[in-house]
Amino acid sequence: MKRKLHHPAPSERELTGPKYWRSLDELAATPGFQAQLEREFPEGASNLNEVDRRHFMKIMAASFALGGLGIAGCRRPEKYILPYGKSVEGVIPGLPLYFATAMPLRKSAIPLLAETHQGRPTKLEGNPTYAPHGGASSLVAQASVLDLYDPDRATVHTKGGAVLSVAAAGELLANTAKTYAANDGAGLAFLADESSSPTRARLVKKLRGKYPKAVWAEYEPVRDEPPLEAAQAVFGRSVKPVYRFAAAKRIVSLDADFFHAESGSLFYAREFAKGRRVAKKDDPMNRLYVAESGLTLTGSMADHRLRIASSHILALAAALAVKVTGDATYSGSAQGLDFKDKDKWIDACAEDLLAHKGESLVVAGSHLPAGVHAAVYALNAALGNIGRTVDLVEVEPSSAATISDLAAAIKAGTVKTLVILGGNPAYNAPADLDWATLQKNVGDVIRLGYYADETSVLAGTQLGAAHYLESWGDARTADGTVVPVQPMILPLFGGFTDIEVIARIAGEPVSDPYALVYETITGQAGADAEKVMRKFLHDGLLAGSAYAKVDVRFNARGAAGLLAGAGKVEAFSSKNLEVRFVTDHKMDDGRFANNGWLQECPDPITKISWDNAILVSPRLGKDMGIDPKGALLQVARKEENEFSIGKENSRVFELTVGGRKIRGPVHIQPGLSNYTVIVPLGYGRTHSGHIGTNAGFSAYPLRTVAAQHIATGGSLVDTGERTLLANVQEHWSMEGRDLVREANLDEVAKEDGPGLAYVKGIGMESHTPSVIGEVGLAMTPAQRASELPRGGSLYVTPKFDGQHQWGMSIDLNTCIGCNACVIACQAENNVPIVGKDQVLRGREMHWIRLDRYYSDGRAEAGAFGGEGNRELPEDPQISLQPIACQQCELAPCETVCPVNATVHDEEGINTMAYNRCIGTRYCANNCPYKVRRFNFFDWNQRQLDSLYLGPIGPQGMPELVKMAKNPEVTVRMRGVMEKCTYCIQRIENGKIRHKVKTAQAGDPADVIVPDGTIKTACQQVCPVEAIVFGNILDEKSAVSVAKSREQDYALLGYLNIRPRTTYLGKLRNPNPKMPDYAALPLSRTEYYKKNYPSGREPEEGHGEKKAEGHGALGLAKRLGGLS
Amino acid sequence: MSNIFPKSANRLPLQIILFVFVLGGIATAGATYYMTPKYTRVGYAPVQPVPFSHAKHVGELGLDCRYCHSNVDKSGHSNVPTSQTCMNCHSQIKKDSPLLAPVRESYETGNPVPWVWIHQAPDYVYFNHSIHVNRGISCVECHGKINEMETVYHAKPLSMGFCLDCHRDPAAHVREKGDVFNLDSPTIATRTGLEAGQKFVHDWNIKPPQSCSGCHR
Repeated sequence: MKRKLHHPAPSERELTGPKYWRSLDELAATPGFQAQLEREFPEGASNLNEVDRRHFMKIMAASFALGGLGIAGCRRPEKYILPYGKSVEGVIPGLPLYFATAMPLRKSAIPLLAETHQGRPTKLEGNPTYAPHGGASSLVAQASVLDLYDPDRATVHTKGGAVLSVAAAGELLANTAKTYAANDGAGLAFLADESSSPTRARLVKKLRGKYPKAVWAEYEPVRDEPPLEAAQAVFGRSVKPVYRFAAAKRIVSLDADFFHAESGSLFYAREFAKGRRVAKKDDPMNRLYVAESGLTLTGSMADHRLRIASSHILALAAALAVKVTGDATYSGSAQGLDFKDKDKWIDACAEDLLAHKGESLVVAGSHLPAGVHAAVYALNAALGNIGRTVDLVEVEPSSAATISDLAAAIKAGTVKTLVILGGNPAYNAPADLDWATLQKNVGDVIRLGYYADETSVLAGTQLGAAHYLESWGDARTADGTVVPVQPMILPLFGGFTDIEVIARIAGEPVSDPYALVYETITGQAGADAEKVMRKFLHDGLLAGSAYAKVDVRFNARGAAGLLAGAGKVEAFSSKNLEVRFVTDHKMDDGRFANNGWLQECPDPITKISWDNAILVSPRLGKDMGIDPKGALLQVARKEENEFSIGKENSRVFELTVGGRKIRGPVHIQPGLSNYTVIVPLGYGRTHSGHIGTNAGFSAYPLRTVAAQHIATGGSLVDTGERTLLANVQEHWSMEGRDLVREANLDEVAKEDGPGLAYVKGIGMESHTPSVIGEVGLAMTPAQRASELPRGGSLYVTPKFDGQHQWGMSIDLNTCIGCNACVIACQAENNVPIVGKDQVLRGREMHWIRLDRYYSDGRAEAGAFGGEGNRELPEDPQISLQPIACQQCELAPCETVCPVNATVHDEEGINTMAYNRCIGTRYCANNCPYKVRRFNFFDWNQRQLDSLYLGPIGPQGMPELVKMAKNPEVTVRMRGVMEKCTYCIQRIENGKIRHKVKTAQAGDPADVIVPDGTIKTACQQVCPVEAIVFGNILDEKSAVSVAKSREQDYALLGYLNIRPRTTYLGKLRNPNPKMPDYAALPLSRTEYYKKNYPSGREPEEGHGEKKAEGHGALGLAKRLGGLS
Repeated sequence: MSNIFPKSANRLPLQIILFVFVLGGIATAGATYYMTPKYTRVGYAPVQPVPFSHAKHVGELGLDCRYCHSNVDKSGHSNVPTSQTCMNCHSQIKKDSPLLAPVRESYETGNPVPWVWIHQAPDYVYFNHSIHVNRGISCVECHGKINEMETVYHAKPLSMGFCLDCHRDPAAHVREKGDVFNLDSPTIATRTGLEAGQKFVHDWNIKPPQSCSGCHR
């Protein structure tokens, strides 16, 4: 007989009140508890009061305990389906919607597509309509969605500590307008961050028209566009360069980190990669010369890298200009320049450039003085590059005052009301302005800020700013294309946008941001206004709105004038250090300091997370006596930086420049200019949120108006203290192994050489018969998957009989190591952060990581027992390698799982069933790639500072943070293993969407998803398209084509685990005429030195002529195991 | 030395084994009855805020499932209709019925009607309606004869075993395209035999996933 359960009719309270499971209601149905409940879970809203949450948990603790005893507690919770009251157009519950928007950053913007689930944005992708980015986006753009849901953001408007309603805040701005309307704005001053918004420019014009006596100042602590005065001097016009890297065969970067620190870097990285991709033996490949003081990602891709102080770049540029232009007037500025093989270096480089007239490109870092840019314009003009590899586009020169002008006005006492829009001058203004004191001297400070930060706490009135994902606005990309900033959600906390504040203070009749943007965009459209706006919002850009390219004439006299003003070349030593302040790869100038994803993401070069460090060269380290002589087992290992059990025990030094001091941990960084100290900005925030406060140290106290990017005369003193840095990569060197396989282009291009198949001559596989036999070698990846037995094992080969077989190919030749994939994966897959303390214990959760290796060619077999190399490399080559789960077909993790929680599916994916996992961690132990991550704690439910409190610690995820989660992916709990799944949710949804489409179109038999439809998160974000994913059963799919390329190899392929992810070998393109030319990539030199200790020539023991006794066993013995 | 164990102790091992078996049997039976979806979920028929009768609307009036559950063939989530959908008719029919008061109120205020969720898969299961209804699996396969239910109840266990029964043998469960939303229609296999079902599965390239990744992410 069927049992029918009939519940009693729901009471009034149940129907109208907050919903919760019944046993708890009944056990705790006291009025006080009801009140708590109502405050805690109002429908559809969120309450973030932490005190309330804790109180709630305290009360609930008793209920949980009692609830567990009674049978009532076993009943399944009653949940509700809450459909809309009125239908919403276009919304289909369960399907995400995509809207075009853009992330503004200084004078540029990244066009984006935001994925929204029931009105909340969860993931951002690049807008593919904007062709220069091709759908890619950056590290910070990926992470910016988390800022929207930051519980620490400014949630209220306040005046003098009292909370203002949104209406009252608006009134306050209107009153300001009234006050200053009478006297032309005398006493009114504005300090804003830079913006590319046409609407803001329009409003600022109106504002200045209305208040002619007011001061409008703009300030950005870091510069990402070349100074306009250089262009003014040499071209007589206000133009800025837009580089076309794809057309450049020879590129010289002068301290320019154009992969990251320059405006438009996403476009540049993408273009650079186009000239770097080599699919066939005789494909052309660009050559990159980099002269830099620090070690940047751009430098890591260099074919020739010159370590040189930033202050000497001017002399280098001048010396190159002498050679290239033949104009001796530049030689004056090149005086005193000195480095090893200087003449040879400059001659060879100049010769190479001259041989590629019109297809070469010289780029200078934006932070460098105007003289360098003038010399670079001279170089590009002489090489005929202007109009070919570098376009000059007309931009409007800024008419804003500088922060120094504003500071002078405040000192003179003429500022009565100061409006600070964004920025954070109290934290990042030049130290000699003493901004905090200045700001206190102004009677009335109105601050529009996203956080209650250093500037806000000193301001009388604080207005909460809206996130760009909740505001209407517009912006221009680096090339000038106008893009919309479209809200995905109403302001969560009633925040204002800057254009709204300006409009209100300007007394504009309309202050609604949408109306303002509408007016800007449709200004000239006339009757088509509505259509133009709709298209603008739909496409996410205004076609044809890029800055106009202009033809310019180079004026050598202008350049000479700028160069003449440059100082002499200063010699640096450990007593007189050059200090270079760099834009941090993750924190930027400090604006992203409270973003947990970014804080935990390791720096791409130093691999330090949650901290910055004073980076010093190995030479300087030795000079200062912090170069300990550890018992080195292998090359450049951890002891050099004093690692102990995965923790970098760093010494704290005091850095003094011009009497100003900061303290910070020192990290010895190979590849730096000997006496240049690199200090990343953006850390050491004193008023940020839980995440950003006190992470790292602030370098801003050292910066002055005169020396904002490069300072000289620095000195370092040991304080005797130590601090721990969470450095995620202990081993710096590849230790002669075959993980990243590299070759030089000339070696590949040789007629009788192995060509691109050089990867096959490296590694264990090249010394033994193939583990998959000759039959296996001849097969395509698809055949291998379905036909090749495991061999010599009792384990059953999984049946790969699915309709697709997924695979991935990663091109190491184009990967620039930008880390965008790490954050994209984190956003897509709900990967939690764990905090510095846990990273120190090696418990970071990233599903994809970037391994960075140094090689300087000196590692030798002696290192394995003998003397070997005890020095840190000063001038290393860098190899980068992204590693996620390789989805082995014969996965070692699966055979050791006692509960079948990780098994293969039909389509070749090594799946994780979280609910089955009991957390033995055997799988992680057995994984040769170390890509499995274990939830040691309930990262999602616990506060990072109280993980160890156990049951007495606060639990539960703030409502706001819950909103950031991707609903398509399980949020994992404590005690389960997790790892990359090739974005299984995207695969399954992609298959379903395709099948639904074909079934509805009457072709249900078509179940194969077209190539390129399903993209993994890492693939989609990648600016250089290094990651290709798809169906290997389809021979024409991009991934099959990539895998059939000759330089395709499997990482640790000799283990016969048959990874579905394979790599494409890396190529370098050095110039044989350069003094630092090496016939082999340095990692290969190390590889041969290690594996051929007798000094046998590497070519001998290879290929078919393989010597006897050269088997895997002997080699493995020499390697000391397979570590 | 006296006998510590009486003679009856010889039977003790057997008794213990018997006892363990009986106890184990009881425990198994208890767990099966009290803890498996087949018994815990089937028959679950909570009282809804509005006593909506599917028997009336579907069985008698012949409304199509998709009139209200309009996105079931597009989205993974089968939507429960908005109050506006109800009001399409009920602004004219039974417009003053007290039973419909929550719907009217919801329509006016925009607040949702809190329908009690009956067919609820666990959070770690990503069931998708659109793929099933578009590829020959009728509503009736999982929901039972909704068109005959005065009050909707949980008709099938919806356990993992239940899902796999069908994923392992789709031929016995598929229906013609036109029959998917007709809850009284027979499956192809019952109408024309299992071979026809197998042919359908073959022609449509139906290959339901049987590994974790199909449903768990």
